[in-house]
Amino acid sequence: MPTLHLSPLATSLFSLLAIASLVLAFVMLGSRWLKDYMYAFALQSWLIALLSAAMAYYGSYPELYLIALLTALFRGLLLPYLILRILRHLEVGRELHEILQPSSALVAGAMGVVLALVVASRIASDVGPAGNLEVLALTVMLSMMLIGFLMLAIRHEAISHILGLLVLENGIFLGSQLLIPGMPLLIEVVILFDLLIAIACFGVLVRYLIAHVGTTSSLRLKRLVG
Amino acid sequence: MTMMRDVLAQFAQVMAVLALAPLLQGFILKAEERVQMSRGPSLLQPYRDLWKLFHKQQMVPDTASWIFWATPVIAFTAMLTVPLLIPVLTDYPLPLSNIGDILGGGLILTLGTFFINLAALDTGSTYGGIGASRTVMLSILAEPTLILVFVGITLMAHAMLPFVVNHLLVAEPAIYWNPTHLFLVVAFFILLLVETDRLPIHSSTHIEVYMIEEARILEYSGPLLALLRWSSMMKQFILYTIFCNVLTLPWGLTEIGSALGLLGASAAILLKFLLVALVVVVVETAQARLRFYRYQEPLAAAFLLAVLAIVANQI
Repeated sequence: MPTLHLSPLATSLFSLLAIASLVLAFVMLGSRWLKDYMYAFALQSWLIALLSAAMAYYGSYPELYLIALLTALFRGLLLPYLILRILRHLEVGRELHEILQPSSALVAGAMGVVLALVVASRIASDVGPAGNLEVLALTVMLSMMLIGFLMLAIRHEAISHILGLLVLENGIFLGSQLLIPGMPLLIEVVILFDLLIAIACFGVLVRYLIAHVGTTSSLRLKRLVG
Repeated sequence: MTMMRDVLAQFAQVMAVLALAPLLQGFILKAEERVQMSRGPSLLQPYRDLWKLFHKQQMVPDTASWIFWATPVIAFTAMLTVPLLIPVLTDYPLPLSNIGDILGGGLILTLGTFFINLAALDTGSTYGGIGASRTVMLSILAEPTLILVFVGITLMAHAMLPFVVNHLLVAEPAIYWNPTHLFLVVAFFILLLVETDRLPIHSSTHIEVYMIEEARILEYSGPLLALLRWSSMMKQFILYTIFCNVLTLPWGLTEIGSALGLLGASAAILLKFLLVALVVVVVETAQARLRFYRYQEPLAAAFLLAVLAIVANQI
C-alpha cells in the first residue's frame, strides 16, 4: 500500500470527511422516505468530491481536481436530479414494507461496521505497516459496501435498489480516492459514465415496470414471464 | 485542613444537586411554554409543588407492602449518593469519590428506577403494571447503549473515573474534537432525552395511553410522592451534570474548593444547564411524540453512534 506522507491536519480532515460519509450512509439506511435518502446521497457525493479535491491539494495530483469537479457534477447534481425525476413519476414517497425495520437495519449496519473494522485491520497488518488513515479508508469503504448490500437486500422499491447500488459505488470510490489516489483519469471517467448509464437503464426499467406490472416493488415480481 | 475543605465541598455538591434540581425542571417547563408563545408557570413552581405535597396527608393503599414505603426513600437516597461520585462543582476527586466509577454511578441511578418499578407492581393496580412494563421495555432498549457509551468513554480516556475524562477533555482539544468524542456526545444526548422523559418519548402527561413515569407513581400521594418527584428531578440534574461536566462542557469547575469557587461553579453549572436545556427545549418543540412501537428508532441511532465512536477510537 503506498503510504502518503500527510500532515496531521490533512489526516484529520480526511478522517472527518470519510467518517461523515459513513454517517450519511447510515442516514440513508435509517430513513424511510426516498427523498431524504436522495438528499443524503447528494450530500455524501459532495463530501467525496471535497475529499478528492483535498487529496489533489495535499497529495499534489492535479488531475484529481478534474475528478472532484466531475464527481460533484455527476454524483452530486446530475444523478440526484435524474432520480428525483423518476421519483416524481412514480408517486412512491416511501418504503412501505421493509423486511427489516429501520432501527434493526441500523443495528445490523453497526455490526457491519465492526466486521469491516476487523477485516480492515487484518488486511492492514498483513500488507505491512499501514497508517491509521489507510485502515480508516478500508473500514469506511468496506462498511459502505456492506451497507449498500444491506439496502439492496432489505428494500423492495426499484429506486431503493438503485440507491443501494450507488452507495456501494460511492464507498468503493471513496476508498480508491484515499488508498490509490493516482488512478488513471480515464478509469475514473469511465466509472462515472457507467453510473450515468446505469441510472438511464433504471429509468427505462422503471417505466417498463409501471407500464407492464403496475408496480416497482420487487415484492410483486414473483412470476417469470417469457 | 484540606481534608475538611474537601469534605465540605463534597457536602456542597450534594446540596447543590438537592437545591438546584427543581430549578432546572422549572426552567425547562417555563422555556417550553415560552417557545409556544404562552406564559408558562413560574420558575419556582416545582419548589411550591414540593412544599404543597410535603404538607399533604399521606394515603397508603390497603394492598401496599413495605416496598411501597421503602421505595421513595431508596430512590431519594440513591440520588443523594451519585453526586458524591461525579464532578458537580469541583474538578478534582473528593474524599469518597473513588468508591465508584462511571459504571457504579449508573448502577446506583438504575437502582432507584428498579425500586420504583417494584413499587409500581406492588400495589397491584393496572396502571402501575403498565408503567413498569413500559419502563422495563425502555430500559432494555437504552441500557446496552449506555454501557456502550461508557465503554467508549473508557477506551477514549483509558480510565473509568469521570474526573479523569474531565481533565483529559480540558487539556486536549484534539481529543475534544475527535469523532469518537462527538459521537459519544450525541449518543449520550439521545439517552439524556430518553431518561429524563423528554420528547420524542415524552411521558409526563396524565393521559393513560401515554404515561410511563406517571403511571408508576400513580398510587403515591403526599410526602412520599414529593420524595419521588424530587428524586426524579435530581436524576435529571445528575444526568445533565454528567453530560455537561464529563462530556460536553468540562470547563468552569472550581480547582481549589474555596467557598467562592464553589459559588462560582454553581453559577457556571446553572449557565451550562441553561444551554443544554435550551437545546432540549428546541428538540421538544420540533419533535413529535413517537408511537410506542417506534421508541427503538432514536435508541437504535444512539446505539449506532456509540458503536461508531468505539470503531473510530480503534483506528
